[in-house]
Amino acid sequence: MGEARFLDPAIVARLGTIDLKARTIVEGFLTGLHRSPYKGFSVEFAEYRQYLPGDDLATLDWKVYARSDRHFVKKYEEETNLTCHLLLDVSASMGYGSGPVTKLQYGSYLAGALAYLMNRQRDAFGLVAFDAGITSLVPASARTGHLRAVLLALERLKLGAHTNVAKPLHDLAAAVRRRGLVVLVSDLLDDPQQVLDGLKHFRYRGTDVVVFQVLDPFELKFPFEQAARFRDMETADEVMAVPAAVRRDYLDRMQAMIAHYKRELALVGIDHCLLDTSQPLELGLMAYLMTRRRMP
Amino acid sequence: MFGVSFLAPLFLIGALAAAVPILLHLFHRKTDVVIDFPSVRLLTRAPVQQHRRRQLRELILLALRVAALILLAVSFARPYVAGAAAPVSAPVTVVLLDTSMSLSAPGQFASAQKAASQAVQSAPASDAVALITFADSATVTVPPTSDRGAVLAAIAAAAAGAGGTRYRTALASASEVIGAREARVVIVTDLQQAGWEANDDGGIPDGVDVRVVAVAGPRGNLAVTSASRRDQVVIATVQNYGADEARAAVQLMVEGKEVTQTTAVMAPFAAAEVELRGGFGEAGTARVVIEDATGYQPDNARFLPLDPPPAVPIAALVADPSGATGGIYIERALSVADEGPEFAVTVADGRVLSEWTTAEMSRYAALVILGTRTLDRGGRALVKAYLAGGGQVLLTLGPDVDPGTLGDVIGADLGVVPAPVRAPGATLVASDSRHPIFRPFLIPSGALGDVQVDQYRRLKDQEGRTVLARLTGGDAALTEQVVGQGRLLVFVSDLDNQWSRFPLQPSFVPFAVETARYLTHGRQLRQQLTLPEVPAGAAMAPGVVTTGEGAAARRMVVNVDVRESSPAATTVEEFTNDISRTNRSDQRAPVNVAREVEERQRWWQVGLLVMLVALAGEALVGRRAA
Repeated sequence: MGEARFLDPAIVARLGTIDLKARTIVEGFLTGLHRSPYKGFSVEFAEYRQYLPGDDLATLDWKVYARSDRHFVKKYEEETNLTCHLLLDVSASMGYGSGPVTKLQYGSYLAGALAYLMNRQRDAFGLVAFDAGITSLVPASARTGHLRAVLLALERLKLGAHTNVAKPLHDLAAAVRRRGLVVLVSDLLDDPQQVLDGLKHFRYRGTDVVVFQVLDPFELKFPFEQAARFRDMETADEVMAVPAAVRRDYLDRMQAMIAHYKRELALVGIDHCLLDTSQPLELGLMAYLMTRRRMP
Repeated sequence: MFGVSFLAPLFLIGALAAAVPILLHLFHRKTDVVIDFPSVRLLTRAPVQQHRRRQLRELILLALRVAALILLAVSFARPYVAGAAAPVSAPVTVVLLDTSMSLSAPGQFASAQKAASQAVQSAPASDAVALITFADSATVTVPPTSDRGAVLAAIAAAAAGAGGTRYRTALASASEVIGAREARVVIVTDLQQAGWEANDDGGIPDGVDVRVVAVAGPRGNLAVTSASRRDQVVIATVQNYGADEARAAVQLMVEGKEVTQTTAVMAPFAAAEVELRGGFGEAGTARVVIEDATGYQPDNARFLPLDPPPAVPIAALVADPSGATGGIYIERALSVADEGPEFAVTVADGRVLSEWTTAEMSRYAALVILGTRTLDRGGRALVKAYLAGGGQVLLTLGPDVDPGTLGDVIGADLGVVPAPVRAPGATLVASDSRHPIFRPFLIPSGALGDVQVDQYRRLKDQEGRTVLARLTGGDAALTEQVVGQGRLLVFVSDLDNQWSRFPLQPSFVPFAVETARYLTHGRQLRQQLTLPEVPAGAAMAPGVVTTGEGAAARRMVVNVDVRESSPAATTVEEFTNDISRTNRSDQRAPVNVAREVEERQRWWQVGLLVMLVALAGEALVGRRAA
């Protein structure tokens, strides 16, 4: 499957709402697949229970009421195969974009597409946006209309301050009770050891994790020519540098960081997928599906 | 009330140049590439400069550059603090306080200060007040101000000096301060008669009210009015300006030590001459001191030089100093003048003189030309410039003088007939025996009739030339004329015993000496000065001053003007009548007052100094930043 068949992120960026973007990405992606290997059920009826004040009126079974003149609400049981938590890094460094798409935009498209895909598969999914702490939270659910809530949250995301991936990961790991899947979308420009500790926390609790490390092509190639002051987008520290003089060293450090993540995450069974914001988003979906396939 | 004003405020426009570094700074900031980048932590930090530190340096550099430019503009604008400067249209009371020597009797100046202070305090409340102190010159000590405390403080700080009194100079200064405004003048003085110097100009504008406050002078005054050395005796004159007979001890002090003492007795309004004998050296200075407890103090001492008067330098130009004569007669004749070194003669041939500079040439008070044949073009131009610039020249027309180049040497056509005239036995006859050169020949022993001239060159008649002596044949022997700003004497024969036996005659020495004295009159180096004439930089006070350094060092004594020693005073009415009135339209603008204040404060110098410091700081910070 060549990349030429996929949508260019720049084109996706020009589409209207994130809803449309997600649908375009996923439908296009699925159309290319011969069959969907995944099917499932989102919710199934469990039992009736007498109505209590405070219950949602939408859950009232009016037919039972007509028959028995008593109020009963329907109780459902989630029978989905998976509960997925989309973790999206919204720290300031994610605002970088050398092309038409920033890392945050790319990450939100990816999260939106994954949510759309999960919705089609009747998987429960939620969204957590974070920088140094959790800035936005949509709890996991597989209900109708939940996709819209997640996409709307993605639409409203704003860049935060500096990153502290470890803290929200630990917080979330402690909160997630059911085993499921955690999808982290981040540039991972933080202390690698702390990031790894946070992710391992999930794994130790039996949760599967897939990490999408989103980086800009300029971060991966450092193609600058002119001497300049490079200002850190999170700390505002400045480094005066001549690119030709520091490029080799920079690229070595970048590759070392990526390799370190890949190696350490693999040791604990976490998939690491490096995404370049100039690459098609479908690659992310494919990586997700590969991980999903391995899950019971 | 206090504010800064500027003499040349247009220069402040130059401060706009301060915008240049600001714009450059901003431009520089814009062109400085800043890239927001998320992976800065992976960049090598070795060549890093912290931005904030650098920004601080840039701001310091900018501030120093802007400050330097602003200071330059402000300095050129000539700032001054006008103090509680009153508006130029405000009425003013000008207090003129006499600080001359005639206010220096014990207790006298304190009375003057008190009177001046009262004048300030009694000035109308609406008036600004100015203070002018005066002696030989007038100084606007406090320009018109409403700050009367400043004026009173200036009066309290004033002191009587040793200068003379020049009323008209003070009045002229007051007139400048007053300008066109309404004014009152209060003159606090001792009304000394000698203060009305006839050659001075100055008066008070019409319509200005003048009040004269008389400060009583002493009943009498004793002064040393002259002192001179004759061998081992110092002769001093002590003048009694009082109506009573006076007796005073007279001391001779040499280099600070008393040598001898005597007593002088003076009749009323009379002087006494005293001789002070004692051992003192050939050089140095002495001081004759009297005791006068009630009179003026500065004239109780008079300084005198003990050194002989310096010899007057004279140059003798010859054709060849190694020749048979070489100017030896004129040199020997001048060396015996006044029984000592009255003249210092330098004999130089044309080749040597041609290498002199204009400054070296101008050092000589006179030039005697005995021969010009070795003088090159530069030398001729040098002599010509010397004469045109005010030099004194005695030209002889002997055989060593080339008539063909005389025009180049003198710078004028003298009408010399080149061919010499043979006239064996011709003698000299003075045209006017009262002329200074011929004064010694009034007595028979110095008769010019003994002078014999064998050959000479004839001078054609010319306008502007005075014939001082003639030969017995009727031709001019010695003439005088003006060339440029200089004076030229021409002797038609020679003074080297070639065409004339004059140098061998007894009359030659007095002739040479008197001619030299005539030419160098007024060009002797002075040893004594009278206040207010003092060398530049010297204090305006009696004493000994030294000018120059090394071999050129000269010591001079400075004494008070004896006219100031007389306490003779006019009445207030006479004084007031002597004040001339001037037309207000002739008054100078009050800006002169501002100029005086500015020149006294000289803030522009401080401004330039601070500017240099700012530039030095800029260079230092700039080098570090680089």
